[in-house]
Amino acid sequence: MGRPRAFDTDQAVSTAAALFAARGYEGTSVDDLVTATGVHRGSLYKVFGSKRGLHLTALRNHLDHEIHPTSAAIATLTDPAQALTAAIASYDSGPAAGLLLLAAAERAPHDPEVAALVAEGITALEDALRPSHGDAAPRLASTVLGTRLRLRAQPAAPKEH
Amino acid sequence: MALISVDRERGLLTAEFQGLDKLWTLKSRLEIPLAHVRGATHDPGIAREPKGIRVAGTYFPGVITAGRFRHHGERLFWDVKNPDKAVVIELADAESYDRLVIEVDDPRATVALIEQSIAHG
Repeated sequence: MGRPRAFDTDQAVSTAAALFAARGYEGTSVDDLVTATGVHRGSLYKVFGSKRGLHLTALRNHLDHEIHPTSAAIATLTDPAQALTAAIASYDSGPAAGLLLLAAAERAPHDPEVAALVAEGITALEDALRPSHGDAAPRLASTVLGTRLRLRAQPAAPKEH
Repeated sequence: MALISVDRERGLLTAEFQGLDKLWTLKSRLEIPLAHVRGATHDPGIAREPKGIRVAGTYFPGVITAGRFRHHGERLFWDVKNPDKAVVIELADAESYDRLVIEVDDPRATVALIEQSIAHG
């Protein structure tokens, strides 16, 4: 139905996710999204309905392509120290690193749909740590989230090669 | 400027145009079934986009955009004097418009009101 889409939806969602992860939801304007994705404003509205619709799609995408696969990989580790290190290194990372953490802080308190997606991501982390940490998994998940937050707060180190 | 309200029981979004905007837009109100509303976004930047062809209403570039416009095959309804307060309401195919661009007093509150009244997904 309708006109064919002249752009790659997945590509636009990934670009938007990276933008939301870097600047936050409020800090990202529709102008920013139009410029970064190269997609016409009308097409963005037609496909996603609103900026919030695009953000929810980006968050869903980040869960499916980043959070869940990472969690599945962590769940295969049985050594507690190894699992914790892997979780700290890889959870909520990828091209839109920090999108979940930022959504938890900025949007979840005001938006039940965002809160549900964030809860899904945190539950995935808890489940991933259960094979290695058992009942302590929820506590360790909090440690991972806290450490990721501290890493994000560190000033960017000069790039080495 | 328009007053936007949501009646959940009747499942209706209403935009009531204020004062002379009734004249500029040639409308006193728009009623849209909530089921046809896909989302709302505060978007000051949309005012810089090409408006397309005016079908009915008033257009003084940089001063007022009001009434029915057609752009790239899409049907838009505008009522904007101050772009800083422009809210974009995206509608589903069945409606008489594809998109409303309406100035409101409190864009943040209007967007929250509309987005909370509809289901995404």
